[in-house]
Amino acid sequence: MAVTERLGQIGKLLIGVWIAGIAVAMFLVIPQYEGLGNAGRIIIMHVPTAWVSVLAFAVSALFSGLYLWKRRPAHDHYALAAAESGFLFTALATVTGMIFSQVVWGIYWNWDPRQTSIFVLLLIYAALFALRSAIDDPARRRQLSAVYSLFAFVTVPFLVFVAPRIADSTLHPNCAFIQGSKCDGITLEVGTIGLLGDRKVQLLALERQGDVVTAAVKVSEPGLTSETVLRPSFDLAAGEMVARPEFPGLRYQLGLEAVDLRANTALLNIEAPGTGLLENRRTLFTFLAAIGGFTALFFWLLTLRATLLDVQWALAQREGSRL
Amino acid sequence: MNSLLEAGTAIYVAMAVALSVWIGIFVYLWRIDTQARALKRELQREREQWPRGEGDAPPRASVTRVSQAEGEPVERSSRE
Repeated sequence: MAVTERLGQIGKLLIGVWIAGIAVAMFLVIPQYEGLGNAGRIIIMHVPTAWVSVLAFAVSALFSGLYLWKRRPAHDHYALAAAESGFLFTALATVTGMIFSQVVWGIYWNWDPRQTSIFVLLLIYAALFALRSAIDDPARRRQLSAVYSLFAFVTVPFLVFVAPRIADSTLHPNCAFIQGSKCDGITLEVGTIGLLGDRKVQLLALERQGDVVTAAVKVSEPGLTSETVLRPSFDLAAGEMVARPEFPGLRYQLGLEAVDLRANTALLNIEAPGTGLLENRRTLFTFLAAIGGFTALFFWLLTLRATLLDVQWALAQREGSRL
Repeated sequence: MNSLLEAGTAIYVAMAVALSVWIGIFVYLWRIDTQARALKRELQREREQWPRGEGDAPPRASVTRVSQAEGEPVERSSRE
């Protein structure tokens, strides 16, 4: 056995042990998340698989470009293998996200902008596979799917990173997992109305008692089915939030992040469960290990599937049939 | 059965399920990987043994797809 092949075998064994270790750490090493309990551990699977799917689609686009340039079947095989792996990881991210959604929102699927955009992404790549299976001529199939794959990848950054963030009405915790980033929230003057996620909020009053300012905020359910008044508070001396009441029926909290008593305004925000969870070292290292493990798994899947396609192509050529 | 879902043990059960699923996937991938590499080696050896364009070509099988009278598709293979 050649040295490179032996090293490859060792690498694959390491992937197996590494991901098994992540599975153990996910359940036994990292602490529970505030407000989510054990269900929040799924983040260790959900976010890395979503990120690796973007990497996979980028690799697919890269090999598609290479195919259009060099016209080598091997490049097409890598492009297809990467697209298939990307589809698989996207499906995994979707399923784990649905489980998260059930815990946090009480429903598996509610057409949140994040869910809708990932669904569109799945459809776009499903169409690539349909396109490939619809064309018999190998050269034409490769050429068309390479062009399609390049166009498909143009949508990926928009659907994964941009669309869910420009949507005002999303409950997906966009800011939860990137250290240093924060949700912007909404600044309201007393008496005015705004949107936080898909909840209509109205700042009714600001009351000061010593250093603590309490806001009375009327929160309306989507469709205005019900209304309730929540009272988040802010400590002016310490510069931090005090009371963070939960939205009715949700694990999300309403936070009063800043107050300007002269302007009579308050900065209100959704505090998503899991926000700041990477501040915990054990969670951060497990999360980074999961990204590394799933990336390595992707490259294994990529080479394995490309090898299978190479073999299939070589056999078809030997047998004199078209594939 | 209910004891498996109690608060103290449920997390271990969930971990065992996740580990079992991963071990199953890993073994499956490992086996396919081994077989794919063996096939590739075999094809490579064959290519080296009978380079293209030389007289002693490896046996080739061609598949001809025809239709029977009833319209049922059949495949006939022949060796060249």
